[in-house]
Amino acid sequence: MRVLALAGRRLAASLPTLLIILVGMFLLLQLAPGDTVDALIAQTGGGGDARVAAELRAFYGLDLSVPAQLGNYLWRLVRLDLGFSSIYGKPVSTVILERLPATLLLMTAALSFAFFVGLVLGVLAARRVNGWPDTLISTLGLVFYATPSFWFGLMAIVLFAVHLEWLPAGGFEEIGAGYTGLRRALDIAKHLVLPTLTLGLIFLAIYLRIMRASMLEVLSLDFVRTARAKGLDETRVVVRHVLRNALLPMVTLVGLQAGTMLGGSVVVESVFSLPGLGRLAYESVVQRDLNTLLGIVFVSAILVISVNFLVDLLYARLDPRIGAGQ
Amino acid sequence: MTLTRRAALATSAALASSVLMPQRTFAQEQPRRGGVMTVHFATEQRILNPSLQASTGVYIVGGKIQEPMLDLDEAGNPTPCLAESWESSPDGKAITFRLRRGVTWHDGKPFTSADVQFTAMEMWKKIQNYGTALQLFLTAVDTPDPHTAVFRYERPMPLNLLLRALTDLGYVSAKHVYEGSNIRQNPANTAPVGTGPFKFMQYERGQFIIAERNPNYWRNNFPYLDRIVWRVVGDRSAAAAQMEAGQILFAPYSSLAIADFQRLGDDPRFEVTTRGNEGNARTNTLEFNFRNPLLADIRVRRAIAHAIDVPFFIENFLGDFAKRGTGPIPSVSTDYYPGADMPQYAFDRRKANALLDEAGHRRGAGGVRFNLRLHPAPWGEDIALWSTFIQQSLQEVGIRVEVVRLDAAGFLRTVYNDWNFDLATGWHQYRSDPAVSTTVWYRSGQPKGAPWTNQWGWEDPETDRIIDAAQTELDPAKRKALYADFVRRVNTELPLWMPIEQIFVSVFNKRLRNYANNPRWASSSWHDLWLAE
Amino acid sequence: MRRTLFAYLRSPSAILGLLLLLAVIGMALTADWFFPRDPLSLAGRPLQWPGASPRFPLGTDNSGRDIAAQIFHGARISLLIGVVATSIAIAVGIVVGALAGYHGGWVDDVLMRVTEAFQTLPNFLLLLVFVAVFGSDIMTVTVAIGAVSWPAPARLTRAEFLSLRNREFVQACRTLGMGDGRIIFREVLPNALPPVIVYASVVMAVAILLESALAFLRLSDPNVASWGNLIGLGRDVLRAQWYVSAIPGVAILVTVLAVSLVGQGLNDALNPRLRGR
Repeated sequence: MRVLALAGRRLAASLPTLLIILVGMFLLLQLAPGDTVDALIAQTGGGGDARVAAELRAFYGLDLSVPAQLGNYLWRLVRLDLGFSSIYGKPVSTVILERLPATLLLMTAALSFAFFVGLVLGVLAARRVNGWPDTLISTLGLVFYATPSFWFGLMAIVLFAVHLEWLPAGGFEEIGAGYTGLRRALDIAKHLVLPTLTLGLIFLAIYLRIMRASMLEVLSLDFVRTARAKGLDETRVVVRHVLRNALLPMVTLVGLQAGTMLGGSVVVESVFSLPGLGRLAYESVVQRDLNTLLGIVFVSAILVISVNFLVDLLYARLDPRIGAGQ
Repeated sequence: MTLTRRAALATSAALASSVLMPQRTFAQEQPRRGGVMTVHFATEQRILNPSLQASTGVYIVGGKIQEPMLDLDEAGNPTPCLAESWESSPDGKAITFRLRRGVTWHDGKPFTSADVQFTAMEMWKKIQNYGTALQLFLTAVDTPDPHTAVFRYERPMPLNLLLRALTDLGYVSAKHVYEGSNIRQNPANTAPVGTGPFKFMQYERGQFIIAERNPNYWRNNFPYLDRIVWRVVGDRSAAAAQMEAGQILFAPYSSLAIADFQRLGDDPRFEVTTRGNEGNARTNTLEFNFRNPLLADIRVRRAIAHAIDVPFFIENFLGDFAKRGTGPIPSVSTDYYPGADMPQYAFDRRKANALLDEAGHRRGAGGVRFNLRLHPAPWGEDIALWSTFIQQSLQEVGIRVEVVRLDAAGFLRTVYNDWNFDLATGWHQYRSDPAVSTTVWYRSGQPKGAPWTNQWGWEDPETDRIIDAAQTELDPAKRKALYADFVRRVNTELPLWMPIEQIFVSVFNKRLRNYANNPRWASSSWHDLWLAE
Repeated sequence: MRRTLFAYLRSPSAILGLLLLLAVIGMALTADWFFPRDPLSLAGRPLQWPGASPRFPLGTDNSGRDIAAQIFHGARISLLIGVVATSIAIAVGIVVGALAGYHGGWVDDVLMRVTEAFQTLPNFLLLLVFVAVFGSDIMTVTVAIGAVSWPAPARLTRAEFLSLRNREFVQACRTLGMGDGRIIFREVLPNALPPVIVYASVVMAVAILLESALAFLRLSDPNVASWGNLIGLGRDVLRAQWYVSAIPGVAILVTVLAVSLVGQGLNDALNPRLRGR
């Protein structure tokens, strides 16, 4: 119950931020050359007709003044209506819900991969600080950090999908194969291996650096020395005492980077032709589908805000000092 | 290879035989029933109903589900589909179609002349691109009985023009599905209901579309295939990889990278060809804005044309699948191609320099005479390469070109509505008759903001006169002569330049049978397509 | 200063970073000397493999342009984008962070809401919108990258200011009657600056990566020889001529690596307590 109240308060506090984002985005897009009708006509490839274009503008409500359009949008939003997508001819909420699973799956997979592998590598490096495993891991971390993700993705396709034929080159699942249950889950997992690696790589590099640094910091603190002095074995010291404290900055970072990750999925989804939110966002910018774009912005903002909320809860559990303060 | 292909395209007889060839080759084989056809679907569409939108992206799907009034046969002549026969009144103002009997929609209701009437008046005339222009003078469609439709026109409509146009612009939709609804919002736009050999099943955005065999199709015992799956793959290289992995059997409309055409063409598993797309020719344009006084000077426009080595570009960048264009009417248009004997602009850098000097544009600092902006349309790899090549070529004669890259909406708005460009380049799509989509690029008086029309600020009464005369001329020979005059005139005045002619390239897996057997095969219904083991 | 330099030079990875960075700067400086022709001009037949012709040690791209020339000239563009975008991001970040941190109260509230808004929005998405709206010439792209990168430096500066603003020396300045502007920029800022400057290396690395991602989606300026553009072009010939994408990819990797190593080296040198991390 307390958590719910907390969540409610948090959401209320985020409302001004949300409003700034949506209104800012709406006004910014008014400055873009061309509108969704131009994009639609471009798809036809020829034979555009000015009268039909004018009708379409009226159909999409683009003949109204900008303040009126903005007012309409906000009024609909108050009633939790995200409007109608001009690309898909369906309500924006439906379109987004169709695309959300792929992105959430990809983000969760990439985040977990980056988090756990980063954690393990960071701990390993910190345990043997300045030894060869540390040098190797740190160098790898730097190289991963410096690799453009789309380039890594492209090269991975060439190697693993085309030459070795181990993994599919793109897509979310085998189309028309009619898999169900576990078979389908395995199929999707197979399709997500390369995208997960591609999206997770840069975060892996960041987490491993942070983990290594905070491990080193915590290892030098008094209570660790005390624990060691009590005669606890080294693994136990690391797992029970050091890790718990060293995790704090990592968890904070996850919250900070939720938005970055969503941005990164734009590129990764278009490299691997995944039907996710990132590619939808890119399409809606190109197609000037204002409702869909604002809908995605809205949903991703909510997503980022809730990830941060979860991070705070987790933080309170991990850090006894914060818990005590409440 | 190039030579034989080009020669083949030159005459309609040769064209017909080249189209017939695969039939002969596989004549002994017994068609196999069943199997799943997989197709590359490069860009997602808002609409899948070809009665509302005439574009290749729609035909590739909707063309298997819905059917047109007429189709093209192997030789490229109009042949019955939903219309069985037709005749024109002597004054050309009434054209009567007898419709096929015993045809039903996928939902079981019968197909009648009311469907044709509704589609023509509410969709072709009011909404469909190209259709609104083609049917501008259509006043009514009479339906004396359920199997007769009489199209009434205010001005004479050349029968040949209408018949050829209706293969692309004559797809019929079901009246009972659309009547009384807002047509633009009707769910059938993305879940089409038709009379065709395949029934729409499912459209999963960003992933795939599926259509299944229609067991009640009016051509008995057709189609052979069980199912068609269109795979949405936005990235060209990824699509090529799926083609090689056998996940895609057909990549239509030049949807792969040019480099992959060469590569897959050398692979014995695939056939890379322009065959089956002869009805879908396009030319690369170079459009001039006459509001820029530099470009209003014909010497500068001609100098620009002379400065660009088109054959070099075609040979090194586009390969076998493009050829030198000779004007707005491409050579595949057997009825109206006026021949190559028209004013042309050969590559001649000295002449280009001389013309620019003569126009008074001396080279200044760094050898630069003046600067121009070039807006390339953001569709097609060839347009990007062509714009880079223009930039590189004009630099050599002292014109510094800045390429302005915009997305589709930005490009259309900036060039055709705001007129805020110097040079622009894109595609002109030729649709079986110059009156459908070609002459609008030259005729003055186009409403501002209509893309792919004369928005250059160029006006020529002589050109307008020829275009208007050809539009309503009923005698085919006279029409052809008028269009020759038209090409001669615009090649001389050069309000825009169409130096490259291309036909869409298809990549087929050789397991396919009965493919590319008509000039608009990728758009057609595929009722006789089958898959070998 | 001297001690810092000395500390910096004791780390082999920092030296490696510096050498790599110098190499990239060297490429940018000598581009005109090695490749006097416009790198975007037609050099020869398209898609010649590296080494196939002695004229093109790294081959040609799909537009028949010399890849080696584009790599050298591209170094200029990447460095330009990196430096200018970073300067913009750091400058905006410092001003916003300083005002928010120093004044607190409603100023802080408003500025932090805006910062939050920018941070909540995926920055690449915002960048896409900027480019769609304002076009994709190189200055627009650079400014747009700067405009989406300032929130982190702003937060960092704000945190420093929050901890510094109640220190004795600031109180002393106030009692002396110094103006706010003077206190902020003359007294507090120099003390708050070091961590922000170190963070600049991160912003710069991200800026270079962001431009290349834009170019990959074919949304960057086609009139300059940028590495990202080359990768975007190479995407079409990835299956057969993978070198068109691979070579500029390595160039980006090396540059970002160099910038990160230098940043890390500086960090260690400026914060001796944290050495060895």
